[in-house]
Formats: sequence, structure tokens, C-alpha cells
Amino acid sequence: MALDTAVQESTPAVQERAGLWNRVPRGLITISIGVLLLFLVSYVFAPSSMTKGPLLGMLPFAAVLAIVSLGQTLVVQQGGIDISIMGAISLTVVIATHGADGDDSRVVPALFTALVVLVIAGLVNGFLVGRVGLNPIIATLGMNAVLYAIVLGYSGGIPQMNADLLSSMASGLTLGIPNAVFYAIAAVVVVTVVVKRTVPGRKFEAVGANPTAAWAAGLRVKNQQMSAYVWAMVLYWLGGVLLAGILKQPTAYQGDDYLLPSVAAVVLGGTSLLGGRGFPVATALGALFLSQLSNFVLGLGVSFAIRTIVEALALVIGVALYTLNWKGIRARVLGKNLSGSPPGGS
Amino acid sequence: MKRNRIILTTGAAVTALVLAACGGSSDSDSAAEAPQEDAASSEEAVEEAPEEEPADDSGSDDSGADDAADSGAGDVPPWCGPNEITLGFADGFGGNNWRLVTTETGRREAAKCPSVKELIYTDGQGDLQKSISDIQGLVSQGADAVVVFPDASEAILPTLQEAYGAGVVTVPYRVYPGGSDGDDYTAYIALDATNDGANYCAWIKKARPDGATVLVTSGPKGNSQGTDMATELRACLGAEGDKYTFVGEDPFEVTNWDPAETQKVITAAVAKYPEIDVIASDFGPSLVGALPEFTKAGRPIPALATSDGNILGCFWQDQQDAGNGFDMMTVATGNDHARTAIDYAVAVATGGEIPSSTAHQHALFEDSLDPDRPVQCDTSLPDYVFHSAELITAQEQAALLE
Repeated sequence: MALDTAVQESTPAVQERAGLWNRVPRGLITISIGVLLLFLVSYVFAPSSMTKGPLLGMLPFAAVLAIVSLGQTLVVQQGGIDISIMGAISLTVVIATHGADGDDSRVVPALFTALVVLVIAGLVNGFLVGRVGLNPIIATLGMNAVLYAIVLGYSGGIPQMNADLLSSMASGLTLGIPNAVFYAIAAVVVVTVVVKRTVPGRKFEAVGANPTAAWAAGLRVKNQQMSAYVWAMVLYWLGGVLLAGILKQPTAYQGDDYLLPSVAAVVLGGTSLLGGRGFPVATALGALFLSQLSNFVLGLGVSFAIRTIVEALALVIGVALYTLNWKGIRARVLGKNLSGSPPGGS
Repeated sequence: MKRNRIILTTGAAVTALVLAACGGSSDSDSAAEAPQEDAASSEEAVEEAPEEEPADDSGSDDSGADDAADSGAGDVPPWCGPNEITLGFADGFGGNNWRLVTTETGRREAAKCPSVKELIYTDGQGDLQKSISDIQGLVSQGADAVVVFPDASEAILPTLQEAYGAGVVTVPYRVYPGGSDGDDYTAYIALDATNDGANYCAWIKKARPDGATVLVTSGPKGNSQGTDMATELRACLGAEGDKYTFVGEDPFEVTNWDPAETQKVITAAVAKYPEIDVIASDFGPSLVGALPEFTKAGRPIPALATSDGNILGCFWQDQQDAGNGFDMMTVATGNDHARTAIDYAVAVATGGEIPSSTAHQHALFEDSLDPDRPVQCDTSLPDYVFHSAELITAQEQAALLE
């Protein structure tokens, strides 16, 4: 109310409010509307997908996707892409389950080991891309192979049951909400605050937005690019730990399903694949959107082929919202209509 | 500064290469060294194996492996002829517990035949190119027979034709590679998954004689194992009139045999279908994470017709103890399929008695309704062992997979 009054009273405040509105990222608005629409459509066409069981079943997976997509966002912001996300998640899952071997007291050391290995992998990734200047696809693809080699060497490809501690950590309920969701919210808050509200975070984003300008401003561009891969690994680690807890007996290849969805969530959240500003909250909503989408099509009870098509279409539409120049298209269509009408009008 | 950078770069590259080489070579090293080790260990195993077999084998059908096992009273099984051979065993992908147990089963089966002078195992690591060069390598190393798990299906057919054309006894098994017996390879040892469907059907009729609502799940869309099983199951229960109804996608719900996907599919099914009395699935262990969804929704766990695994047996036991008991039957997970293939290949190459059947059938294993086939759980063993493997005890599997 106070704001409204102020707005009416002073012109600068009007500008301020318009500025605020402009500062809400377009991606966040779009994906928020998308998520709301999807839940509405789910409620109307596949009501079973909106009941307690499927929602509680979907949320932990959405949380994992949100967390690892945040990691991917950091890398994409720097104009990179991280293919080693698959190996990183699989390795975390394998170390978390095999390392603990069903024994609660060994869970923490196992998780710590996984974190150390992943941070080293992130440093190597960052070094190869940021310092040596390798193409991110090549560097992270190579790292993915290395991580999978460790996965196979460590586990022999054998799935292992998780420890109870891990299970309750990830899929237990607090206030009726799966614990994994709280971890995801915490991750989003931390990433958002650090990137948007701290000096190192602002530098990080500045480098992503325009490396040349950032360099000219005296920022350490390569260090920033390098750090993206390390922080991404920390987030993959958290996602992997939760995934290991959600599944009773995860396989050694559990990360395979996360490359495309993580990139999709980033794109749906409005972060450009060419680098620039990152939108953590929008990315997390993108992850929620993708998870509910698969929940929705499962609830529809349609065949697997249709499920796949619906998911692909939603992705295409989502990406098109950002990448196509809608104003241009509208202008052209309208323009054609105008020129198509008889001269002089009727 | 620049020099440091170069040193660091080189260091990182070397480390990456070494790591990659370690990962890559571990399998090929073991492949190269394994025959000696395993020949020794499997000789020991051969002596104890026949004693266990009759009990385990009682439910199995007349597959080649069983012929051999049943007549294994003498020292040399009938499929083992006099001609000495080198046997190649090419796995398309060797990296999980089921494959490791299956491979060891194959080795032990081959070790029963003294005419097999050498067994060379290769692991394609899920890589088509490596699978092809593995088979070509076996041929050039002088293998007289190759048994192939053709994960890449049709893509590997030209390589099989090549080996067969070079006069090598070529026996693909479990995954259909296209082509036909005698033209493209010696013989394809198929999995008779229709038999699983028939077994599931018979048990469901026994467990739920008054009718039931059935959900069928399997791996990737269109996989032949799931399709054959589900088609037979639907036809067989369908013949009972409208007593039995099916829910979910026809012929089966797609889970990719992945625990995460299975969990999602079952959760959605629990919400969508108010009644599910029976779940039929060709991979039991992946259901363990998903079945508690029924308990969460305040519904009983459905009767289960599936394949075995220690994790599943122990889950059944836990639920029984917790008062959430459910009926369950399993068929063997099929590690012994490798035996049927080895028997056939060795018989042809050594001049032994060729097994009459070129199909493998999963033996009936557990049935909670039949005191003779109790559900098996050993909590002292890892959850990933298969009690149904006939040549390797669960304890041995635990040691092997450690």
C-alpha cells in the first residue's frame, strides 16, 4: 500500500517500480506461468497425478534435478556446458552407496570422499576450459569418461543398496514434505544470494555476461570461469547424494538421465546457452516443470510413444519462447496482413 | 609463468590419460589374465557344483544346460567332445552384477569340458566398436568357437557373419542379432520368455483364482523379453474370460529396468488405478524401491510374479515380518543362460553331443505359496546376489563381486 501511494506521488518511484518489474527476469515470469499452467492442466486432464502419492513421489526427483541444474546453470552462465554431470552424479551415487556399504556410520566419510573426488574433477575441468582454453564439450566429455572409469573400477557396475541414514536424509518427510525439497530450496537460496548479492558473485556474473568487458575492468576472467566448474561439481555432489538416498538400490549409471534434463531446465529458466546472466530460481522452477511434466504424462496413462512426444513438444515450446524473436514474428505476420489487404482498404 | 602453465597442462593431461587408461584397461587386463585364474577356481567349483544341481534344477525345463547338468554324473558331460578347442566368450557389456555372475557361470560350465584348452573372455564395455574388434580379435587369436552376448543386436550381425564365414562356431545368445541359424551363425540360443509369461499366468491363476487386476512392467519399449512375456501372459489370462483385467500400457509399462523410472511408473499407477492385485515384471530387484508406494497409500502390496534377487527375497521377508505380507513367485534371473550357449558351442566345436534345444527357459525358483520353493533371503549376504544361479552359490557370488 505504502509503495502504491509512493508510486502515485513521485515520478522517481514510478521509475523505480518499473525498474523493479523490468528486473524480474523474463525467464522467471515465463517459467512461473508455465509451472502454474502445467499444474492446472495436470489437475484437469490427469487428476491422479495431482494426488498426494505422485506429488510426493515426484518432488524428490524434482529436487535432485533442480540442484544439479543449478550446477549446470553456473557453467552455462560462463558460456560453457558440463557433460561430466553424468559421471559426477553416478560417481557420487556409487561412492555414497558402496562406500557406506549399508552402514550408517560410514555414510559421512563416504560422502566426504565423493565430494573430494568431485572437487578435484571440477578443478581439472575448470583448468582445462578456463586456463588451457579447451572447448568445454571436449574437456568435460573426457572428464565424464574418466569419472565413469572410476565408477566402474570402484563398483564393478554393481548396484548397491543405500544405507538407512542416506534414505531418511533424502526421502524422509518433514512437515509432510520430502526432505530433498528443503535441500533444493537451500541450494537455490545460497546460489541466488551468492551470485546476486555478493561481490565475488557479481564478478562471476559480470564475467559470464561479457568476458572482454570484465577483463578490461580488471576481473580475473579465467579464475571465474574455472570456479564455475568446481561449484557445479559441489552441486552435482549434493544432487547425487540425494538421488542415492531416494532410490533403494541405485544402479552405477544413475547419472545418465541427467545431462539433457539439466540443460533443458537451464534453458527453460531463461539462461542463455551462450552465457550471461543466470537465473537460479527460474532454473529450479524449470526442473519442477520437467518433473511434473513426466508425472503428468504418466498420470495421463498414454503410451510410452505419446509420453515421449509430449515431453519433447513441451521442451520445444519452452525453448522457442526464449529463442524466437516473437515481436519480430508478430510484426512480420501483422505486416503481411496489412500488405495483403487491398490497397486503399475497403 | 608460461612454463609453469605448460608443466601443469602436461601434468593434467598425463593424469587424465593414466586415469582413463586404468579404467579402460582394467577390464581388458582381467580379460587377458582371467582364463588362468578362473580355470583354477572353476575346477574347484566343478566338483561341488553337480551335487547342488539336482535340488536347484528340479523346476527347470529341458534346456541344453539342464541336459548337461542332469547327465553330469560322469566326469565329462556329453556335450564335451574329443576335439581340443580354444573358446572365445565375448560379452557386449560386462559391467554389472548380473553379467559378472553370468560370465563366471559360463567359465565354470566351460571348465567342465577338458577339451576346452583355453577360454578367452572379452568385455565390449557397451561399446559397439570394441565389441566388434573383440570378436575379430578372438577369431584372429585362433578361437574355434565364440559365444557372444550381442548387446548391440543387429549392429553386430556382420561381425558374426564374418566369424562364421571364417569357419568359427559362432553362437550368439539372449539378445537376438537378426539373421538365422546356419546362414549367419551356427545357432542363436534364444531366451524363451514366452515360457516366463506362461509360468506367471499359471501362478496368478493359482494365487488369485477368482480373478485379479494385473499390471505388467518390463524394460525398454519393445524389448523382446518383455514383449514375449507380456503377450503370453495377456493371452493366457485373457483366455479365462473377463476374470482377469489388465491396467497400464499394452503390452507392458516401460521402466527401462531402471529403479528411478520404475519408482515413478509404480507411483503413478498406484494413484491412477484404485485396484492393482498383481504385478508381473521381468526384473524383480528394481521393484523393491517402488513397492512401498502401496503401503504409503494405505493399500496392500500386490502379489508379485517376477524374477529373483536377494534384495527382493529380503524385502518380502521384511514385509512379512512387518505384517504387510504379500504372495510372490519368481523365476530364475537367467545367469544359467550362458551355460546353454556354452554347451551348444562346445558341443559343435569339440564334436560332442549337440543339445536338442536352442532355447533357454528360466527355471521356476521361489513361490511363497509352495513350501517346496520357499522365498530365499540371506541378510548376511549383499543384496545384489542371485540365489537362483545354479553353478555359483550366493556366498561365492558375494566373494566374486566384492
